[in-house]
Amino acid sequence: MSSDTVVYSARKIVTMNPSRPVATHVAVRDGRIVAVGSEVEIAQFAPGGMIDDRFRDKVLLPGFVEGHSHIMEGMMWSLPYVGAFDRRSPEGKVVSGVRDVDAIVARLRESESKMSDPKAPLFAWGFDPLHIGSYMLTRQDLDRVSTTRPVMVIHASFHISNVNTLVLERAELLRATDISGVVAGTDGLASGVLQGIAARFRVFRVLGNPLSSGITLDDVTRYAASACVQGVTTITDLHNDLTDPTIELYATATRSPDFGVRLVPALASVSHTPEQAIAKIAALRDGGNDKLHYGIVKLVVDGSIQGFTARLRWPGYHNGAANGLWYIAPEELPRLVDLYHRAGIQLHIHTNGDEATELALDAVEKAQVATPRPDHRHTLQHCQMADAAQFRRMKALGVCVNLFANHVFYWGDAHYALTMGPERAGHLDATGTALRIGVPFSIHSDAPVTPLSPLFTAWCAVNRLSSSGRKLGHETEALSVEQALAAITIGAAYTLKLDDLVGSIECGKYADFAVLEDDPLAIAPEALKDVPVWGTVVGGQVRKAPRA
Amino acid sequence: MTQSAPIPLTVIGGFLGAGKTTLLNRLLASGHTRCAVLVNDFGEVNIDAALIKSHDGATMSLTNGCVCCSIGSGFLDTLGRLLDETGRFDRIVIEASGVGDPWRIAEIALVEPALRLDGVVVLADASRIATLIDDRQVGETVRNQFARCDVALLSKRDLVTDAQLEAARAAIRLVRPDVRIEFVSPDSAPDLAMLGRRPAVRFRADPVDDGIDHEADFRRWTYRRNGSFDRNRLAAAVGALPPQLLRLKGACRIDGEVRPQILQMVSRSWTLLPPDGSNEQIADAIALVGVGTADLPADDELDAILDGALVAPLAA
Repeated sequence: MSSDTVVYSARKIVTMNPSRPVATHVAVRDGRIVAVGSEVEIAQFAPGGMIDDRFRDKVLLPGFVEGHSHIMEGMMWSLPYVGAFDRRSPEGKVVSGVRDVDAIVARLRESESKMSDPKAPLFAWGFDPLHIGSYMLTRQDLDRVSTTRPVMVIHASFHISNVNTLVLERAELLRATDISGVVAGTDGLASGVLQGIAARFRVFRVLGNPLSSGITLDDVTRYAASACVQGVTTITDLHNDLTDPTIELYATATRSPDFGVRLVPALASVSHTPEQAIAKIAALRDGGNDKLHYGIVKLVVDGSIQGFTARLRWPGYHNGAANGLWYIAPEELPRLVDLYHRAGIQLHIHTNGDEATELALDAVEKAQVATPRPDHRHTLQHCQMADAAQFRRMKALGVCVNLFANHVFYWGDAHYALTMGPERAGHLDATGTALRIGVPFSIHSDAPVTPLSPLFTAWCAVNRLSSSGRKLGHETEALSVEQALAAITIGAAYTLKLDDLVGSIECGKYADFAVLEDDPLAIAPEALKDVPVWGTVVGGQVRKAPRA
Repeated sequence: MTQSAPIPLTVIGGFLGAGKTTLLNRLLASGHTRCAVLVNDFGEVNIDAALIKSHDGATMSLTNGCVCCSIGSGFLDTLGRLLDETGRFDRIVIEASGVGDPWRIAEIALVEPALRLDGVVVLADASRIATLIDDRQVGETVRNQFARCDVALLSKRDLVTDAQLEAARAAIRLVRPDVRIEFVSPDSAPDLAMLGRRPAVRFRADPVDDGIDHEADFRRWTYRRNGSFDRNRLAAAVGALPPQLLRLKGACRIDGEVRPQILQMVSRSWTLLPPDGSNEQIADAIALVGVGTADLPADDELDAILDGALVAPLAA
């Protein structure tokens, strides 16, 4: 960090500060923004009039803020990716999607051939049958990869996996189709599709759990590298037990001057009593630094819509599936919310279905009535099915929302046909409604569930296009490019209570920029996702994204 | 104990406030058997300090040979470690979450050779269960908890009137007409071996007899057809069956499947699985038997719902 002032000139600076929306020059000192404006205004800050013009053909935006993603994104990239859509790795390489069984098998064979230990299991991630015409992998498909090495493909949802015959034999699951998570194939034996706790226990007992060894420095470094590749300068880890080793690791990683992202972990309520969690947050608040911000707690109320585990109000799932699961009992939620609310903690509450959203709003309302607390900014996460009345309640209660815009692309077709039906799918992740009613909002990727890429997330909110090309509520819920860019910068910063530090380019804030090759406001909205990211500036430190 | 003898597993389920923690506290303190108990919330475990040998924040070892572990997020790892300590415990007890389905955990013992499932015990607060079972928000969760349990264990008997107790029993029987219902003893630890799947002796000397003819409360419905179901339409049809139908089971054929399938539906959740090899020959047709409450709609009404899922017979 330099104590000398550096003045950068750029093709254009989009500040996301409405009182000075565009500029060409920005002065940076001690990792913070001294001033932003025109050449005439800012040149005076340059020592000896020297202006750093390395960004002369680039466009600067506030560094993107990913308000809902997970450190798992950094962990998964140690394994081969077998999702259907292209995805950019932490090394900046576009890993192409594999869109049919043969391509998946070929990708896995390629990884298999590079493994030195003939006995080590091959794990892969990112598969979703809905993206390859609802074709479910079978053990026979994976036997084509290897019959002598265990092979396991973890689905994009993380709740389901596919294994080869060898794994089923070793785990003694081949004939265990009476277990609810062991799906039978046409031959009556296990098909290789496994879900649920019993099957997972057996498989990890014989193979070892690839993700149970705890977070490593490599994982955190990969996470930061992915952030840089995508123009992200503030990133969440929105559900973490924050065990002592993790706390120590995060402290060490973020204190390194080379660490290229600000990290905002949320403490998982599920692994703590409220009393423990409140004490832990109190202790952690002082343990942060300028790149590590503790203070928020995550509650998970229900499951996922595409997994049919979200809790829906009447009339329920479009295809008649049974209602989903509560992960917190409805009578327990008000007690938890009240305790955290009283303790001054900001809550991030996962509610996918509208019944879960209703419950969360009831709980916040009760807590607010009992202990009025201005500017609590409790934030509903995902909140995909909320209707206008629920948004009006959010507004009245001071609740923010972080909508899962990427769902429109990845599962919009499934929501249209199976889970919600045409009308409700039209207001899936209702960014337009949030805007009209005035609920502070952001949009997110939930990486690694969908790819980390705020420009892609913004593209989803602007175009509202499903992967098959269907427009979902485009006329009423789509954002303008400018509104979407606000959502992935100052909007997300607001939901994290960091909008005084990041999210816009203005005097006093951290010098955090996304450096783009093109002006997202000058291109066709359909091309928003394709604007190349050159790299980032974090606390004044310039970092060119790798391109492998 | 030999190294290879599987350890009995008991899963304790039941909704929030059903009395799981009280029961587990007693179990740990009694030390009748060397139990490893996995609990959801360590903070609620209340053990006499004199009994605690060591406590490292995630595991509490007691002087009587019992161990209590916090489940946290590393449940599978914790259970795996316990299984590696062969011979140290006579029984493993897992507390299911108040909103979880204990059967999902019980299934671990059906696939893990080191474990033997010895019982799924679901606790219920006698003063609340009748209301909970019909609750708009959690009724389904609560009913599912009973769907596969071996014993329903009523707590807080001393706090309810006979009429309330009867309502509690009736509510559980509506979900599981066949389930064994017992009471939590107000002052002693439960003997889990006696609540197990193959009890050595009866739990109580005097059988629980409420003097009600349970058959009279229920109505059976039989559905027989030649032909086969379309899988997607069957899903819709099962979803359209009235809530008064509590269970449905039998063999059927699914269009495109070579082998007949076993359909099982309990309180709205259903599965379709191929029969295991040990079953007797299954007829090449559809034969389902349902049990519902006394106000189950007429047979032809129910028939019509499933008929909608039949694949039209091909013209010869």
